[in-house]
Amino acid sequence: MRTPDLDGPDAALARAVADDRDAPHDLGGLAAEVGTSVALLEAVGRAGLLLPHHVDADGTARYSAADADAVRAGLELLEAGLPLAELLELAGPTDEAVAAIADRAVEAFLRFVRDPVLGTAPDDDEAGRRLVAAYDRMLPAVERLVTHHLRRRLVAAAVARMAAGTDGTPAP
Amino acid sequence: MTLRVRTVALPDDAASADLLDDVFGTLPADDRFAFVGGDVGLVGAGAAVRIPVGAGTDRGARAAAELDRLLATAEVDDEVGGRGTGAIAVGSLTFDPDAEGSVLVVPSLSVGRREGATWVTTAAVDAPPPTWRPGAGVPGRPPVRDRPRFAGSSLRDDAWLTAVDAAVAAIAAGELEKVVLARDHRLWSEAPFDVPALLGALAERFPACRTFLVDRLIGASPEPLLRVEGTEVRSRVLAGTAPRGATPAEDERAWADLLVSAKDRHEHAMAVTSVTAPLTALGADVLAPDEPSRLALDNVQHLATDVVARLPAPMPALTLLDRLHPTAAVGGVPSAAALDRIRSTEGMDRGRYAGPVGWTDGAGDGEWALALRCAEVDGARARVFAGAGVVAGSLPELELRETQLKLRAMLRVLSGLGAERPAATG
Repeated sequence: MRTPDLDGPDAALARAVADDRDAPHDLGGLAAEVGTSVALLEAVGRAGLLLPHHVDADGTARYSAADADAVRAGLELLEAGLPLAELLELAGPTDEAVAAIADRAVEAFLRFVRDPVLGTAPDDDEAGRRLVAAYDRMLPAVERLVTHHLRRRLVAAAVARMAAGTDGTPAP
Repeated sequence: MTLRVRTVALPDDAASADLLDDVFGTLPADDRFAFVGGDVGLVGAGAAVRIPVGAGTDRGARAAAELDRLLATAEVDDEVGGRGTGAIAVGSLTFDPDAEGSVLVVPSLSVGRREGATWVTTAAVDAPPPTWRPGAGVPGRPPVRDRPRFAGSSLRDDAWLTAVDAAVAAIAAGELEKVVLARDHRLWSEAPFDVPALLGALAERFPACRTFLVDRLIGASPEPLLRVEGTEVRSRVLAGTAPRGATPAEDERAWADLLVSAKDRHEHAMAVTSVTAPLTALGADVLAPDEPSRLALDNVQHLATDVVARLPAPMPALTLLDRLHPTAAVGGVPSAAALDRIRSTEGMDRGRYAGPVGWTDGAGDGEWALALRCAEVDGARARVFAGAGVVAGSLPELELRETQLKLRAMLRVLSGLGAERPAATG
């Protein structure tokens, strides 16, 4: 991931954000890894649901093992019977809503975590260390929080639908 | 065997009865059919004669010859005369000319209407044609209604998307220029689908379309493939599709975008040529406007071109179908390569979906539309279809989306639900 030139503490943060773990697959490799077609992954990518880990200097999008896991999760939904057209239709608004929320969350991080660190750390190295520590702590925490919240929402929606009678719903 | 046919005019009080709303429900239940929305509207029931339509690229000509043989010895008493009266046959042909399963029948009973005339035609073999008066039947009780429920597709969405991608690659490789790929949804319901109500809903929802029912295939075709009257042949070509906008301004923008979309314009031009070229080859004078016009339906809008041709001599509508079908609007370009790809990659049997559906009379005149926006309804089970034109640069997920919109429109009709948006203009 290319980043603009950053000052000391932000450069340390940028390296942490760059998430340097391995991204071994290009799109064809990813399709082979999970056992699906490149066409499907391209379409899912254009729908905003599959984002590359990073893009190489030559323009090749690279994907990590975590990306492969996410694709497998999507394929699970198709295997369970959800038509791709319906999944893509859910993906659009999800991506849009989540992208806006992600931007606001990063804004909150910058204002309420980074700014205080920069204002109180004795030097740049220490500030960098603190920012990376905060980031490493917050990202998995956010993931747990969002996953759990979504799970609760899904269960609540399912319960509400069953209480109303699953067949009381209008057809598509 | 002698076919006896009698056409009698209906009195004026019957002339105001709506063929679908008032007449259809009183018809005998066996082999009911409808073809309403063209210059001649027809509903009816029963099968006095079933004319075999085999497979092959000359099936229409052979069926026309068969019909001619039958009518050569028929006793026809027609007090009305003209288009759609006397002996008629209604039919629905398979999309694939090489497939079996086409249907062509001379109905025992048909009620017809064209401007200024309403009539009843009855037909029987080796017996006097029965008499029938409107209102003689009793409409059945309104059936219990349930919604249509999804029961899967012949080819899963993701496999269909991959097939579209492969078609785009084949087009890029120069194997063909265009192919229409279709997919289906199988449906089930707790209660049998209410065919008369479906016909009414289709006619109401798609007033610009031909509402049809032939042997369980029910739909509303926006595309009159062939209207034949003497030596005059008319055809409407639809290819190039955009969604309707949620507001009039959005709607106009979607139309303006469609009108300047090189991909859609090219697709449309190919479809027009696939109709004009065979007519020209028959020696006809062919007229087609340079600029497509707009056909706005309640869920999508299409680029439309109305083709008018004058043949050097009359030709039966059924025979002309051999020359025109499948057009690029439902097959592709070149036709043979597109058919091969449809057969090998679509993963389903289209049956009579996207095939010609319509009627012909003893003079060989008639009107045939393409069986699009349709469902094959069999009691409490149904199958709905939708297709999308794949050309160079097509994005598979957009084709998937287009077919989804079309499938959804049919599902809403089968659900007895109204339009998704306020009635469209234009």
